[in-house]
Amino acid sequence: MSLIEINDLKVHYPIRSGFWNRITYSVKAVDGISFNIEAGETYGLVGESGSGKSTTGKSVVGLEKITSGSIMYKGKDITKKSNRKELDYNHDVQMIFQDSLSSLNPRKRIEDIIAEPLRNFEKLDANEEKLRVLQLLDIVGLDADALYKYPHQFSGGQRQRIGVARAVATNPKLIIADEPVSALDLSVQAQVLNFMKKIQREFGISYLFISHDLGVVRHMCNNIAIMNRGRLVEIGTRDDIYNHPLHIYTKRLLAAIPETNVNHRQEHREQRLEVEKIYQEQQDKYYDKDGKAYPLVQISPTHSVALPEDLVEKIKHEGEVKA
Amino acid sequence: MWKTILRRILIMIPEIIILSILVFLLAKAMPGDPFTGSINPKADPAQIHHLMKINGLYDPWYQQYWNWVVHLFHGNLGNSYQYQEPVTRLISGRAVNTLWLALFTTVLTYCFALPMGMYAAKHEGKLPDSIIRIYTYVTYCIPFFVILVIGIWIFGYVLGWFPTTGSVSSTANPGFPTIASRLYHILLPGILGALFGTVNIVQYLRSEVIDAKGSDYVRTARSKGVPEKDIYRHHIFRNSLLPIAAFAGYSITGLLNGSLFTETVFSYPGMGLLFINSISYRDYTVITALVLIYGILNLLGTLLSDIILSIVDPRIRIQ
Amino acid sequence: MEENLNKHSDISAADLERLSKEAQDEATPSSSKIIWSEFKADKPAMVALILVVTFILFVMIASLFINTPKMMETDIMNYNATPGSNGFLLGADTGGRPILQQLIVGARNSIGIAIGLTLISSTFGICWGLISGYFNGYIDWGMQRVYDFMMMLPMTMMIIVLVTIIKSYNAVTLTFIFSIFYWEGTSRLIRSRTLSESEKDYVAASKTSGTGSFKIIFREIMPNISSLIIVDTTLSFAENIGVETGLSYLGFGLPIQTPSLGTLIANANDPNNITQYWWTWLPAALLIIILCLSISYIGQVVRRAADASQRHGISD
Repeated sequence: MSLIEINDLKVHYPIRSGFWNRITYSVKAVDGISFNIEAGETYGLVGESGSGKSTTGKSVVGLEKITSGSIMYKGKDITKKSNRKELDYNHDVQMIFQDSLSSLNPRKRIEDIIAEPLRNFEKLDANEEKLRVLQLLDIVGLDADALYKYPHQFSGGQRQRIGVARAVATNPKLIIADEPVSALDLSVQAQVLNFMKKIQREFGISYLFISHDLGVVRHMCNNIAIMNRGRLVEIGTRDDIYNHPLHIYTKRLLAAIPETNVNHRQEHREQRLEVEKIYQEQQDKYYDKDGKAYPLVQISPTHSVALPEDLVEKIKHEGEVKA
Repeated sequence: MWKTILRRILIMIPEIIILSILVFLLAKAMPGDPFTGSINPKADPAQIHHLMKINGLYDPWYQQYWNWVVHLFHGNLGNSYQYQEPVTRLISGRAVNTLWLALFTTVLTYCFALPMGMYAAKHEGKLPDSIIRIYTYVTYCIPFFVILVIGIWIFGYVLGWFPTTGSVSSTANPGFPTIASRLYHILLPGILGALFGTVNIVQYLRSEVIDAKGSDYVRTARSKGVPEKDIYRHHIFRNSLLPIAAFAGYSITGLLNGSLFTETVFSYPGMGLLFINSISYRDYTVITALVLIYGILNLLGTLLSDIILSIVDPRIRIQ
Repeated sequence: MEENLNKHSDISAADLERLSKEAQDEATPSSSKIIWSEFKADKPAMVALILVVTFILFVMIASLFINTPKMMETDIMNYNATPGSNGFLLGADTGGRPILQQLIVGARNSIGIAIGLTLISSTFGICWGLISGYFNGYIDWGMQRVYDFMMMLPMTMMIIVLVTIIKSYNAVTLTFIFSIFYWEGTSRLIRSRTLSESEKDYVAASKTSGTGSFKIIFREIMPNISSLIIVDTTLSFAENIGVETGLSYLGFGLPIQTPSLGTLIANANDPNNITQYWWTWLPAALLIIILCLSISYIGQVVRRAADASQRHGISD
């Protein structure tokens, strides 16, 4: 059984207008997505900004009011507030936010920030609590003198590690990491990511890793879902996505990863332009008449892609030929 | 746009109904009755009882309220017990005075505030800006009625420049002299009200102009060589004009509230003074009518401002 | 979990104590500390602060030694006594009552009501704004409609009507009546700040940390808008002095036998008083002006302290 199962999740924001202020239109931030996260894995959710990936993350952690669909955890649908309460859901599922400064209350000391989930979910006495906070700080590589400081006294990377420490505090089973490093310098990114990996090894935590950066995702994730316009366009293992991308949107994202090897720069550029050309020409083929992505179709046990039937047949056929 | 306005008006209706019920009940709850002592000091209790009865004052409150509303829609607000005159006529006479003073004050306020706000913004951070800031803050924090009392003392009594009571001189000939006399009577309260009511407009205009000064379109205009004077006149000022105009609507609340004080200090026969007098005489019909009118005027003022602002800023319209 | 964590614990009790002390020293100063250092840096503000505090203390204490009912008795002999005569330092009014003593008791009453009004209406307005801004949806919508309705009411008129209805009222009931109508400004200000504050991720983090709504509102969000609250409260205190005095001036504030700065100024309603017997009302008028100016000046300094970029005192 998977750790968490997301079935046909929809989050629509109503736009009210007209004379009686009725809902006349809705922005479909997330429009029917399904995927499962297994225990101990890092699941990557990738897409451009506005694709609904953050909304998905917030729904999973219980911050978003969802329109329809279900998110199953321990056999209960946690989109209902009563179920979340009953399970002490946020004891097991925590979140790391993108903006480390705004996610730490500027008026609170680090001790109180990290201890907040402990105080709500675990009854510890003052000494135990302090010890636990110190241990957590140590895990993310911060000294004990951080305890009484305020968030603004730290650098961005340090703050994000504090955010990680808070998320780990209750020893959760799943952490939603919403673009945890995109606000950081490249050199600091690796540091924070390595801490996250280390924690995963030590505590067996699963991550839902939300990012727009396929480079970072490759470093972190085993399974990846590509999201576009509120729907999933491709799901697969790291190998499926990076080496056998099928959907044009995935190909574009991959082509957009900067090439670090200068010798291949020209080559890379040509490849990117070619993908872009195909995208412009064949866009209609990959999306239905409303501009929505097609439902996912399974290609292999691990790999699914949102393509119309005829294309899928063709791809399957080609695959057999190649094999 | 029209839908927004229409919806706003529809929202107003329940507000007005609740206000009317509230006002009606409060007026009923006021102690004493309008007859004891007002007709004839020696009036016989039986006679008062009879008067109360024929005026329907013993009916249950909803009955009385309903009668009142029905009459209201016939343009009949009842009779003033104090003045023995239809309330509609009584108030319309007074309303002209109050609105006339309010209009005059508003116009003067803009005359003072617009140049001050522009000037402060032009010289941002320099001496004139500080002086204007201190001025607005001093005028803002002193209670208005104290200013009125000191103003009438200095300019009305000590210096004798302005009349201290009434709305028009009784000896003025009809025609132009009457108008001149009316203007003369509202001059001092109008000036005082304007001098001490600039703070919102000045501060808003100042910050608006300072924002505009640094904006891209002004810098573009400047780099194209548009004269500084024209930049202020055509680009900056024009953009800030509508939001500034919107203050006129909101300021109605303040002006009406102030009218109670202004008219008391200057013995100016407007709605505010009428209200104060009616309270002492327990003149229910007048009191309810006045509170209702003030409430509706407040609503209309806010509505006016919201409409102006929604023209300027489409974001507000969605709500 | 436990063993994993214990690998990371190598800290002694002595270390903890030392760390607590170190951190205390370099912690960010609290808002009250920042404001205090701002006053120390601004001499005129300090003067205004000392002036206001001393004056309030003076009237509070001095009025204890004044027998109000006896003071308010009419004394025909000293009808409109001029200042300095017959031991009347500031003269007497038309009833022969001493102005100076009335001024002291009146100031005590007016300031007391203003303080009470500020406490009640600000507390209410802050709670209203916080709750309305934090919960969006139906709660906010409903609270906004109540706010709109209150804004429509002609405040002064409503207060006058209420005052005439309540037969025996005193300073306390009066303060409560005023409070019904004077919380809107604060609530509006606080609501708009709460709206933007609730969007921030630390609120979301508190939600996922299992903290309850009211704890988030009052323990997480409120400290972050504390400087705004302090500024607004100081400025509304200055404004509130005008509320009671204004109504007492119109004759609908404190009862006649209870002196107030407003009833003293109401002496000016008599054309004789206003010119000939100026001492009956002018001192009260000047006192209100000085008081309001000083308090607002203090408010300006507090506002400057709250706005980090304009500070004269310490910087972050």
